Amino acid sequence: MDAIKTTGLTKKYGRKNALIGVDLTIEPATVFGYLGANGAGKTTTTRILAGLIRPTNGTAVVFGLDAVRDREEMQRRIGYLPGEFVAYRDLTGRNYLTFLANLRGNVDWSIVDDLTGRLGLDLTTRIGDLSHGNRQKLGVVQAFMHQPDLLLLDEPTAGLDPLIQREFLSLVREAANRGQTVFLSSHVLSEVQAVADTIGILHEGHLEVVESVEVLKTQAVRHVDITFLSAPPTDTLRSVAGVKSLEHNAKTVRLTVEGPMAELFQIAAPFGIEQVVSHEPDLEEIFLSYYRGGGDQNVPQPVPQSIA
Amino acid sequence: MFRNLYLKALRDQRKALLGWTAGIIIFIVIEAAIWPSIRDMSAWKDLLAAYPEPMRKLFNLEQFTTGTGFMNAELFSALLPLFFIIFGIGRGARAIAGEEESGTLDVLLVTPLSPGRMLLQQAAALVTGVAVLGAGVYVTLAVSSVLFGLGIGAATLAAATTAMMLLGIEFGFLALAIGAITGRRSLAIGAATTLAVAAYVLYAAGQIVDSVQPWQPLSPFHQALREGPLGGGLSLSFLWMVAAAAAFVLAAIPLFSRRDIAAH
Ligand SMILES: Nc1ncnc2c1ncn2[C@@H]1O[C@H](COP(=O)(O)OP(=O)(O)O)[C@@H](O)[C@H]1O
Ligand SMILES: [Mg+2]
Repeated sequence: MDAIKTTGLTKKYGRKNALIGVDLTIEPATVFGYLGANGAGKTTTTRILAGLIRPTNGTAVVFGLDAVRDREEMQRRIGYLPGEFVAYRDLTGRNYLTFLANLRGNVDWSIVDDLTGRLGLDLTTRIGDLSHGNRQKLGVVQAFMHQPDLLLLDEPTAGLDPLIQREFLSLVREAANRGQTVFLSSHVLSEVQAVADTIGILHEGHLEVVESVEVLKTQAVRHVDITFLSAPPTDTLRSVAGVKSLEHNAKTVRLTVEGPMAELFQIAAPFGIEQVVSHEPDLEEIFLSYYRGGGDQNVPQPVPQSIA
Repeated sequence: MFRNLYLKALRDQRKALLGWTAGIIIFIVIEAAIWPSIRDMSAWKDLLAAYPEPMRKLFNLEQFTTGTGFMNAELFSALLPLFFIIFGIGRGARAIAGEEESGTLDVLLVTPLSPGRMLLQQAAALVTGVAVLGAGVYVTLAVSSVLFGLGIGAATLAAATTAMMLLGIEFGFLALAIGAITGRRSLAIGAATTLAVAAYVLYAAGQIVDSVQPWQPLSPFHQALREGPLGGGLSLSFLWMVAAAAAFVLAAIPLFSRRDIAAH
């Protein structure tokens, strides 16, 4: 049985189409990365799957349970971290988790201790006195504590420092290995590709791409600035496989590269490299390049003032 | 304290409850302490006659000659209803709409707890809170009656306290229902308060203007106060208040269960 199956999922807020005809199937025991820019419709999708809002059209089914008709039954099997996690300010972390554990039943408190230990969260502090990052940790713990069959995590790493992010990603990986399914939304590719098996890219309410991480990685378009010790070998670089475009000034070239960059660096290295700056690929570009199917159009990219 | 939503909701209102109960106790004691000097005032009858007829009717000023009548006029006709209703509306609006606006409702709902049961547990917590206020009124007045010679009987007092509690519960449930249906706390407070004021105006107008009188039974204030409320005993009209309060919450359940929960 599919962990998640949506069919023609559509959500309108008044006349605004937040989600349009999303068909999505997610296998159990996998990590699904749901990528999209701000306003793409990630939160809307997540909250439909959590049973908090109803689709205008289409259906969402979780483990065979309809998100509208079988909501209560479905919600028993979900751990949910909202995009903006808020907890009761006047409670301590421990009281808050105790309350949720009582509502859910059968929570093994040793799991809570393990999670708080790994994330470094102090449960004796009033939630109102916690830093933003620590509140987010509490949100992670409440979502994971009952080891639900499905984890719905809406931009979970917001506010977590890099070390904790790493720990969080291993929690996600372990959950999937244990057989739990993870639905993780994000607007940062690097975060998702580190942990996801499959990635879906949402653009203005349309699910544009669903692809395994391996395939997407080879098609990802990246910008890289290489500063050479002397005049850059622009013609040589232009001819390297995967290089889509090139701009340059006296010592620095800005390249748009598709796929792996090993060959590029092998060819460039003998010319004397002073510095390399690689930029996070843009979501827009990933799915544009996906649609181009590796075609040969250039992505126009102005060289910023700092290096021009 | 965190075993279920009902207990947590009780815990959440403990400070408000403490404050309101203390306030009400102080008020009642002050009023009761005044009574002996009012009773002994010789010019009382003359003073009464100076009030216009409508005022005498609305506040039962003729009753000022007995302790029961004095307390009816001073406390049970306006002040105590006001206290109970404000408390009820405040708690009712906060229960679901407040939680939704602050953003804590999302996680709470993605549990085996259904919107319907959430509403019922919040309603139960509100009734418990109002009952604590009611107990405060009852005990304080019973003791004051002995101390200051008000001569208010236990059964009479119980009935009048019940009337106050029912006013708090009815308008509290109204605010709870509007909050659950709309998700907006200020709307819940505003609409419930407006309806409470309208109900009072209908009641007051019915006391003074004969042509309004036939409509007066529609007002919860009439249903609560018409028998005194001190002195009348348990009135059958109380049942209307129970029915209306239950209807508000029951009507809200399907609407709350079916609507979108607002994102924070
Ligand atoms: N309650 C709402 N009313 C009106 N528009 C909304 C509402 N919620 C979201 N939207 C709109 O729907 C679109 C998708 O929003 P959202 O799902 O929050 O995107 P994301 O989580 O990817 O940033 C956005 O354009 C947003 O402005
Ligand atoms: Mg979002």
